[in-house]
Parts: sequence; C-alpha cells; structure tokens
Amino acid sequence: MKKRMFTSLITAALVLIAGCSEKSTAGGSENTPKEIIYASSKDINDMNPHLYPGSMPAQGKVYESLVENTKGGIKPLLAESWDISQDGKVYTFHLRKDVTFHDGAPFNAEAVKQNIEAVQSNASKHSWIKLSTKIESCNVIDEHTVELRLSEAYYPALVELSMTRPYVFISPKSFINGETKDGVSSFNGTGPYILKEHQVDQYATFEANENYWGGAPSIKKITSKVLPAGETTYLALQKGEVNFVFTDDRGTDSLDVEAMNTLADSGNYQIVRSEPMNTKMIVVNSSKSGHPVSEKAVREAIWHAVDRETISKQIMNGSESPAETLFSSNVNYADIDLQKRAYDPEKAKTLLEEAGWIVEEGQAVRSKNGNPLAMKVYFDIHSNSQKTQAEFIQSSLKTIGVQMELVGEESSSIANRRSTGDYDLLFNQTWGLAYDPQSTISAFTSDASYLHTTKGMSNADQLYQKIEEVMVSKDEPSREALYKDILTMVHDEAVFIPLTNGSVTIVAPADLQDITFKQTQFELPFERMSFK
Amino acid sequence: MYKYMIKRFLISIPLLLIISFLTFVLIHLSPLDPAEVVLQAQGVPVITEELMVQTKQELGLDQPFLIRYLAWFASCLQLDFGDSYVTGQPVWSLLAPAFLNTVKLTMVSALLIIVLSIVLGVVCALREGKMTDKTVRGISFFVTAMPSYALAAILIWLFSVKLDLLPTSGMNSLSSYILPVIVIAVSYAGLYFRIIRSSMLNNLNENYVMYGRACGLPEHKITKTILRNSLQVAVSVFCMAVPIILGSTVVVENMFAWPGLGSLSVKSILSRDFPMIQAYVLVLATAFVLFNTVSDMINAAINPKLREGL
Repeated sequence: MKKRMFTSLITAALVLIAGCSEKSTAGGSENTPKEIIYASSKDINDMNPHLYPGSMPAQGKVYESLVENTKGGIKPLLAESWDISQDGKVYTFHLRKDVTFHDGAPFNAEAVKQNIEAVQSNASKHSWIKLSTKIESCNVIDEHTVELRLSEAYYPALVELSMTRPYVFISPKSFINGETKDGVSSFNGTGPYILKEHQVDQYATFEANENYWGGAPSIKKITSKVLPAGETTYLALQKGEVNFVFTDDRGTDSLDVEAMNTLADSGNYQIVRSEPMNTKMIVVNSSKSGHPVSEKAVREAIWHAVDRETISKQIMNGSESPAETLFSSNVNYADIDLQKRAYDPEKAKTLLEEAGWIVEEGQAVRSKNGNPLAMKVYFDIHSNSQKTQAEFIQSSLKTIGVQMELVGEESSSIANRRSTGDYDLLFNQTWGLAYDPQSTISAFTSDASYLHTTKGMSNADQLYQKIEEVMVSKDEPSREALYKDILTMVHDEAVFIPLTNGSVTIVAPADLQDITFKQTQFELPFERMSFK
Repeated sequence: MYKYMIKRFLISIPLLLIISFLTFVLIHLSPLDPAEVVLQAQGVPVITEELMVQTKQELGLDQPFLIRYLAWFASCLQLDFGDSYVTGQPVWSLLAPAFLNTVKLTMVSALLIIVLSIVLGVVCALREGKMTDKTVRGISFFVTAMPSYALAAILIWLFSVKLDLLPTSGMNSLSSYILPVIVIAVSYAGLYFRIIRSSMLNNLNENYVMYGRACGLPEHKITKTILRNSLQVAVSVFCMAVPIILGSTVVVENMFAWPGLGSLSVKSILSRDFPMIQAYVLVLATAFVLFNTVSDMINAAINPKLREGL
C-alpha cells in the first residue's frame, strides 16, 4: 500500500514537472504511417479463443462470433441471418459466403461445427456460460448453413454466442488432434486484424486483414506494448512511444485521472469515455440467519448511508458516475422505474429505530436484544479504490450507529467467500454490458456466485421461479415483464447496494476519429477507427 | 585446492535440497486450494466442484504431499520443472528467456558497479576529508537513499522525454540498457565504494605502507599495493552482488518494461503459478550458492589459510 501511495505521488510529481514543460512530442509522429501503439500492463498471453488466459481486447481483434451484440440488439456478423424454431430449441444459421480464415481456409458450416464441438468437449471450463450446458448438437445442413440444437429453449443463446469467448472461430487447421482445449498451433481467426508477431512480455503486433469481409480496416497496424508501470506509460505517451491506452479487462486504468487530463491539455491527446459498462456494488449476504444483514431494514439503512456523489467525485475523481440501481438504465430491460434510495443518514437512522435497533445509553453502536449492529465488509486488498471506499462507508455508518469492520483479502479468497456464503458484505461488480442483465441474473441462482446474496430474500422462491421463466421465455413482452419483476424484487430487498457505474476510458491521439465502443467493456472496435 | 573445491561443491547440494523442500512446503501452506488457484489463474470465470476435481486429477494434486514433492524433485533432476499452471507451457521455456534477459542486465550492471566502486573508492580514500570525498559521499548517500523507481522515473523523464536521447522502456537496442543499468548500478555502487574506501584507509595506516615510503618507493606503486590488498575484501562483496541483483531487479524491470526474471516472478506469484515459483526460487538459490562458492574459492586462492578450515 505504502509503495502504491508513493507511486501515485511520483506520478503526480511527474505530471507537475511535465505539465510545466512547453516542449512535448506528439502522440503518433508526423512522418511515419499512422498506427496505434497501445500500452497494456499485461502480455496478450495465450491467444487460444476457446480458453481464458488471453487478453480479450487482443482476441476481439482476431476472432469473430456468429452474431454481434449491439445497442440495437443482436445483429448479423459471421452469420448473415438465422431462424429460430417454434419451440426455441433449434437455431439455424445462414453463414456469410465471402469469409476466409487468416490462413486462407474457408469459413463454412464444417468449420463452425468443429469449433463448437471443440468448445463443448471442454464444457466444464465453460459452465459460466449457460448455453454450454444446453447445446446438444451442431449439424452441418449445407456448405453455408449450420444448425444448433439445444436441450431446451434458452432466450440468451444469441447474446451468449456473441461474446468474446468461447463461441468464436479459429481456423480448423490450427486445431491440434481435432481439439483446441490443449492448445492450438496458430492463431488464425476471421477478424479484421491478423496477429503478426508476439514477443512474450514485450509486444505483439497486429496487421490489418486486407481481405476482411467487412472491408480492410483504415488503421493498418496495431501494437500492444507491455508496460507494467503506470509512470512509464505516462512518460511513454508523452514521448509518443505509445499513443493509446484504455481501461483493461479487469476494469483498471493504468493512468490516474490527473495524468490523463494533463495529456489531454497538451493538445496531443483526447479522452473518450464510454457510457456505463458495469456497476460496482456492495453485495449483502441476506441468507446469514440471525445476523443483522439478513434484515431488510438494515440493508436499506446501509443503502441510505452511502454518499455516492462523494465517492464518485472525490474517490473516483469523476471517472465513475453514482449508481442508484443494480443496472444502469442503458442495460437491456433495465430501463424501469425503481424507487431511488438517496443519501439520507436521518432516514437510515429512522429505519433502524423502527426495526428495533436502538442506541443504548453510553453506547456508540446500536443494538437489539443485546446484539450489536456490527458487520464485516470484505474487499480486494489490491484495489486502492475499494479500500478507500470501504473506509469512507465505514465512517458514514459509524455516524448512524453501525459498526463495520474492514477486511482486505486476495480476490481469489473473496470469490471463495462469495461462493461459500462466508461473508456479511463484500465488494463486487456486475459482469458488464454484454453479460447484463442475463448472466448476472442467472448467477443469482448459482452457488458459485450470488445464491447466498439472494437466498435470504423474503420472496426468494418466487424470484428463482421468475429467473427460470425468463431464461426460457419466447416473446419480448413477457420477457420485459419478467425482468421488471426480478429487478424490482432485488431492488426492494436491497441485497445489491450499488455504488458507482464503471465505464471504459480511452486516451487516444487527438487526430484519431470514429472512436466508438462495443456492447462490452472487454473489446474495442479498432477496425472502425481512422486518423484524420 | 581441487579438494577444497570438491568439498565446497558437495556441501552446496544438501543446501539446495533443503531450499527446494522449504519452497515446496511454504507454497503448499497457502490456505487456498491449488486447483482453484490454477483455474483462477487460467481466467475461468466460474469454478464448479466438478471442474475442481477434474483439475486436481489432471495436475496430480490429489496425491499426498510427500509423493508430489518426490515426483517434482525427480523430474527436476532431469531438468524438467513441469508445466506452468497458467499457460500450460513448460516452465523452462518461459523461465530461460527471462533468465537470460535478466542475466544480461545484471552482468552489465555488475561491471559498471565494480568500475564505479573502485574508481570512487580509490579517489575518495586518497582525498579523504577533502571536498571531492565529501561531495562524492554526499551525492552517493542521496542517490542510494532514493527508491529506484523514483530514480528511474526521473531519468526516463529527463533522458527520454525531455532530451529525447533514449527509449523510455523495452529491450530493443543497446541504448535500452543505459537507463536501467544506471539505476541498478548507482544504488549498489553507492554502497560498495564505501567498502573499498574504508578498507583503503585501513591499509594506508599499515606498517608496510610506512616501510615502503621509508624505502622511497614511488607513490603510485604504494597505491597499487594498497588497492590490491583492499580489493580482497571487496571480492566476496562483488561476487555476492551478482545473485543479489539477479533477485532484486523486480522494480527496475517493472519500470523499464524489461522482460526479465523479476517481472516473471511477480507475475507468477500473483497468479500463484506454483511450478514457476518453485523453479524461480530454485534458480535463484542455485545462483546464490554458486556465487558464494566462487567467492570463497577466490578468497581461498588468495589466502591459503582459509583452506585449512574445511
């Protein structure tokens, strides 16, 4: 922690020094052909798209899925069109005919079948994506038609097929022994960029796919450069050795807000922020019987005691906006009227008084029947912002007579607590735009995720029933109604206390245009960008 | 002499055994389930019981502790350190290039440290208490006390951004070596030149110096003799500097994005890539034992009295 504080100080000092200087080299120098060189704290790693160690922004450039998740819903990508059978169990995809893999192999029904079977043969690793448990078979109908048979109707099937992994396509020539689960021999996808060179822990270069079915990208070369230290990234941006940074797969920015602003003020860079991509929240263990957090009034009181404006402005430096509900209104099906619980310590106190939590003479902490109103919150020890937020909330809760103990742990042990139910409160975040609401909501019923959070709700059985129904729902109006009920139920029970909405931030050369985002925080559409 | 070398070598074998066992024990003392750690390191989003059991079987984690250690040890003897939990590639294929990159950095730095320490040590000893001595010691105090990432950031800002002379980071050309080597060298040279300086000062008061002067030997010859005697002290210090730098380049590698052992070890530790961590510790321990042995041998060669002790 101390080291990190010192690191931040150094960056701040550098920002000051550099801010005072007049001469500054541009991002993307004038003579060389314009390319994007982005800094990343990690190597792109294993690019096998059917496993999980690889960098998602890198995989997103090379591989593509059958369909694309956009703001306007599911759109064609490698599949031109599709039909869904009456019972919702059979999906027939009509593939594009002009697509080849980077190694020249044709993209056809056979390739789709081989890829999907390769993913399914390693199904236990993909259990998070519910579709993997529902695919029964994948059959070739003709050269460019393929059908996917499910064991039961599953409405998010198309959304899950659109994700960065695992249902994306790699050339069958890259398979090893007809499989991909033990590695692949090369990384040939169908995407707009081709992986040309990879020096482990140094850099990886991607070149434009001139034969890309969607037209050759305007930016011809993209390099991903490994720069583990934020200070160096900042200096390299100043010098122009790298000219692009963005929020990484884990949601962290390598630069702090001041550093970004200084770069933008120099005139060489611009800052572009996406709309909300996910929600940072405190998850409450409602099923912990006998514990204060199993009471709705206590959960609501905590909700009212959190000053989200201050967290957003002071702790997150304005990079994240206050969140009032589990999902922001730009998430599918989440644009519904929910009663806002504003920051109101007095209201919180009243709620606790009414629930019988009173301040005894000479005591700072409320109690009921001799039990103190005390709880523990678990946070990721490596996250500075979570720690600061936890401390801030701890002091707010103290003023309403609630004692909160802070426990910082490794992210893996937090994940373990979440699945075993050994927690009172813990910091977490929703899975992100492409996965919200369906994946996050289906995780409400999974003991590896949020089962303990939702189990203690007064109407839990009804909630699980509705979740089951929505996943197999076949028409839009009933789906909307079900989602509305589900979201209202968890909101009313206050089991997910929202804090802020995270978004993706890009620092890019000032003359780069058409910077847009996808419906996911894990990929960027580089192929749509161009230099002025 | 050969007898001494063989003895010295034989002693280091049990030492390495103990180190390897301790590493194995310490890693397995971690309260987390290794199978879960592996799956998390591989980025699997949701880990089910079934997957855990399957992974345990695949990695042989369902075996008792001692059997796992013995199996690991047996394969180590064949220079097979197993496969990385995260990438599935052989540990050796990941460790070797990183190790070489760090060795390159270490060797250049060690050379600069030796040259700097000797030059500064001699100059300061000969100018003891004078302006030069005070200035050098003052600056070295300041530079040694500065954390290396602070020094690195300042140097990058000055030489790469402002003066545009050197690259900020990476390992692309010879010029990439300059800044990281300076950062490593100044912090060590700032300590080591003091050793040479004080040992020179001690020797200056020895009888043989007075005797030489009395005999009218030229001053440069006397200085040379003093230096040779003083260097004996420094030999073991310099020898041990090599493994110490090998194991402590983490910060510098991180700042300069140097693809070496330091970065790799931190990455492995954070993702709990046990086979990588074990191999890393073993490699470093070997380096320490090796250089310790070398320094003892050099000293024994210089001073035969030391050989009798064993």
